[in-house]
Amino acid sequence: MVQLEEQEKRPKFFINDQLDILIEILKRLDGPSLGVAACVCRLWCTLIQNDDSLWEHLCFRHVSVPLPPSVRPVVVALGGYKRLYMGCVRPVLSRLADSERVRKRVWTRHEVELSLSLFCIDSYERLGGSGRLNGDASASSLMFLCKPVNV
Amino acid sequence: MKRNHEDTLRVGGVSSGYGVGGSRNSGGADLKGECSSMSSGKGKMWVEEPEAGGMDELLGALGYKVRSSDMADVAQKLEQLEMVMGTAQEDGISHLACDTVHYDPTDLYGWVQSMLTELNNSPNDPTELLGSNQIDGPLLAPAESSSIPNIDFENQSQIFSDDDLRAIPGMVACPQTDPDSENSQKRLRSSPIGSDSIPALPPSPSASNVSESTRPVVLVDSQEAGVRLVHTLMACAEAVQQNNLKLADTLVKHVGMLASSQAGAMRKVATYFAQALARRIYGIYPQETLDSSFSDMLHMHFYESSPYLKFAHFTANQAILEAFSGVNRVHVIDFGLKQGLQWPALIQALALRPGGPPIFRLTGIGPPQPDNSDALQQVGWKLAQLAETIGVQFEFRGYVCTSLADLDPTHLETRPGEAVAVNSVFELHRMLARPGAIEKVLNTIKVIKPQIVTIVEQEANHNGPVFLDRFTEALHYYSSLFDSLEGSAAGLSSPSQDLIMSELYLGRQICNVVACEERDRVERHEALAQWKTRMCSAGFDPVHLGSNAFKQASMLLALFAGGDGYRVEESNGCLMLGWHTRPLIATSAWKIPATE
Repeated sequence: MVQLEEQEKRPKFFINDQLDILIEILKRLDGPSLGVAACVCRLWCTLIQNDDSLWEHLCFRHVSVPLPPSVRPVVVALGGYKRLYMGCVRPVLSRLADSERVRKRVWTRHEVELSLSLFCIDSYERLGGSGRLNGDASASSLMFLCKPVNV
Repeated sequence: MKRNHEDTLRVGGVSSGYGVGGSRNSGGADLKGECSSMSSGKGKMWVEEPEAGGMDELLGALGYKVRSSDMADVAQKLEQLEMVMGTAQEDGISHLACDTVHYDPTDLYGWVQSMLTELNNSPNDPTELLGSNQIDGPLLAPAESSSIPNIDFENQSQIFSDDDLRAIPGMVACPQTDPDSENSQKRLRSSPIGSDSIPALPPSPSASNVSESTRPVVLVDSQEAGVRLVHTLMACAEAVQQNNLKLADTLVKHVGMLASSQAGAMRKVATYFAQALARRIYGIYPQETLDSSFSDMLHMHFYESSPYLKFAHFTANQAILEAFSGVNRVHVIDFGLKQGLQWPALIQALALRPGGPPIFRLTGIGPPQPDNSDALQQVGWKLAQLAETIGVQFEFRGYVCTSLADLDPTHLETRPGEAVAVNSVFELHRMLARPGAIEKVLNTIKVIKPQIVTIVEQEANHNGPVFLDRFTEALHYYSSLFDSLEGSAAGLSSPSQDLIMSELYLGRQICNVVACEERDRVERHEALAQWKTRMCSAGFDPVHLGSNAFKQASMLLALFAGGDGYRVEESNGCLMLGWHTRPLIATSAWKIPATE
C-alpha cells in the first residue's frame, strides 16, 4: 500500500520532456510515419522539421555498407538530408520498389551514389545565376522522379 | 481531324504539315468520333446487305471489336458528337455537324473520287501542275497548290491516270482489281514504325456504293492510314532521290494530310519528316545561324524529359572517375559545355571518393555567342559555386571556337602531373561534315595525351552516301526516339512543355539530316561500329566501361516513368541505351596506348 502511494506521487513520464529519447524513437520511423508524427503537436513538428539527423537516418538507414564521413558535409552543403530525402531518396525508393516488385530493403552504394548524384544536379540547377534558365526550368531536373509511374 | 481535311482541301496547302506538332488537331473528340463513326458506318452498311452468318461474326472478321448490340450506343454517341460540334465555339466546326457524311473507310476509291469532284469545282485549277515539267519556283503560294493532283475527272475512265499516286507502293492510293495482293503486300511489310505497328487488316475492301456527295469531310481508318503514311513517306524520299521533284511535291502534301489522321508519336515524326522533305524539295535550306541560347534551352528540356542525356553523362562520368582514381590533379576538357549539366555529379563523386577530392580543372568549349555574352563563363561560375560548397578545389576556363577542328592544343595549357580526360557528348559527328576535320580533331586529342576519352554518339548510320538509305534509317531511328518520349510522358494528361521542346530539339536534327547537304548537314550520325573502326585506326585503344557504369545506368532507367521500354546493353565494353530492341545512343571510352 505504501508502495502504491509512492508510485502515484512519482511524476508520470512525459515524452516531450525527454527530447533525446523522443529523437531516438523518431529515428526509427519510416517516412510516412514521420510525416504523421509531425502533425501530433508543435514540438514534434518543429523537431522533425529542423533536426536533420532524423532525416539522415531515414535516408541511409537501409544502406548495407556504412557511408564514409565525408558524405555528411557534402549533403549538408547541398541542402540537407531532409531535401535529399524528399527530392531524391523517397521517389527512388518508391520507384525501385514498384519496378522490381520487391520491397527493396537494402541499399547498395550504387543507389546511394545515384541519389547523391541526382541531388547534386538538382542543387546545381537551383543555384540559378544564369539568365537563360527561367524559374521553372531550374530545379526541374528531378521532376521526372515526381511524375506518376505508368503502372 | 475533320476540320483539318476541310482546311487542306479549301486552302490547298498542307498548312498543318508544316506546323510543329499540329497540336490544335488533337483532342478527345477526334479519336472518339472517328472510332464510333467508323464502326457505325460499317454497321449501317452491313445492315442493308444481309450475308451468311451473324453480324457480330462479320464485324469480328473485319477486325472491329464491336458487337451489334453496341450499335445503338454508337449511334447515340454520334448524335452527341454532332450536337457538340453544332454548339462548338471554334470556327469552322459547327457546320460540320450538318455537313458530315460518313464514308466506308476501306473504300478509298469512293473517297478520293468525291474529293476530286470537289476539287474540280473549286476556283483554283492547278492543272499546270500536271502540264508543267518542273515545279513553279521554290515557293509556291498556298492557294496554287493542291493536295491531290487535279484531274479532269469526267475525261478519265480510271481515277488516276497520273503516275503520282500510283508511285506509292503497295497500291495504297491507287486501288486495282486485286485487293488480296494489296493486303498481302501490306502484311509483308516487316519493319514496324513506332508503336503504331501494323495491325490485322480487314480482309477485303468492300465495294459498296458510296453516296455521291461533294462534302469533303472524310473519316479515315487511322491504322490503315498509318501504313499508307509510311509508304507515302518512302515514296516521296525515293522521288527526291530520283530528282522527280514534281512527284515528290505531290507526295509530301499527301503525307501532311495523312499525318493529320494519326495520333501521337507517329503523327509528330511524319510531320517533321514531311517538313524536312518539303524544305529539300523547295530548296529552302535552313541556315545554321541558330541562336545558341535557344538551342541550349531545347537541349535542357531534352535533358529533363528523357534519360538519354542523363545516361550519357552518368556513364561517361563513371569512366572518367575510374580513370582518375589515385590522381591528385585532374583536368577535364569538355567538347560541348552547354549548361554544364554533366559536371556537378562528377564534382560530387570526386568529393566523396576515398582519399578525398583532387584539384579539379575544367575547360569548357563552346560556340561564339551572337550577342557576345560570355555564356561559358556563366556556367563556369555556377560550377565554381557548387564546387566551393562541396569543398572541391575548382578551376574553370572557357574556350570559344566555332568548330572543334579549330582547337589548338597549345592553348589548352597542359600542366605536368595532371591527368587529362576528354569528353565529347554528341559533338564528334559534326566533324564529319568537312573533309579532314575529324582527323584533325583526333590528332589534337592525341597531342593532349589524355588518360581517357569518353565519346557518346547516336547509334545510327545517317551518313551513308545514298539519300534514300539515310532517310530510311532516320525514319526508323527517330520513330523509336519519339516513341520513347511518348512512352515516358504517357502518365501525364497533357503534353508538357518539356515534351514539346524535346520533340522540337529532335525535329531540328531531322531537318538537318533530311534537308541539308554538304557542309550544312552536320548531323552525320554514325554507328558505334564505325566509330570504333575510326578510333582504332587513329591509334586509340578501347577501355571497358565496367559493371559500375552498367548498374548505375540500369538503376537510372528504372527511375523513369514508362521506363520499362528502355534497355541498357553492353557491347564489348561499350554501353548502349535503347528503346525496346533498338539501341539509340552508345557510350564508349578510349585511351592512348602507353608507348614503351
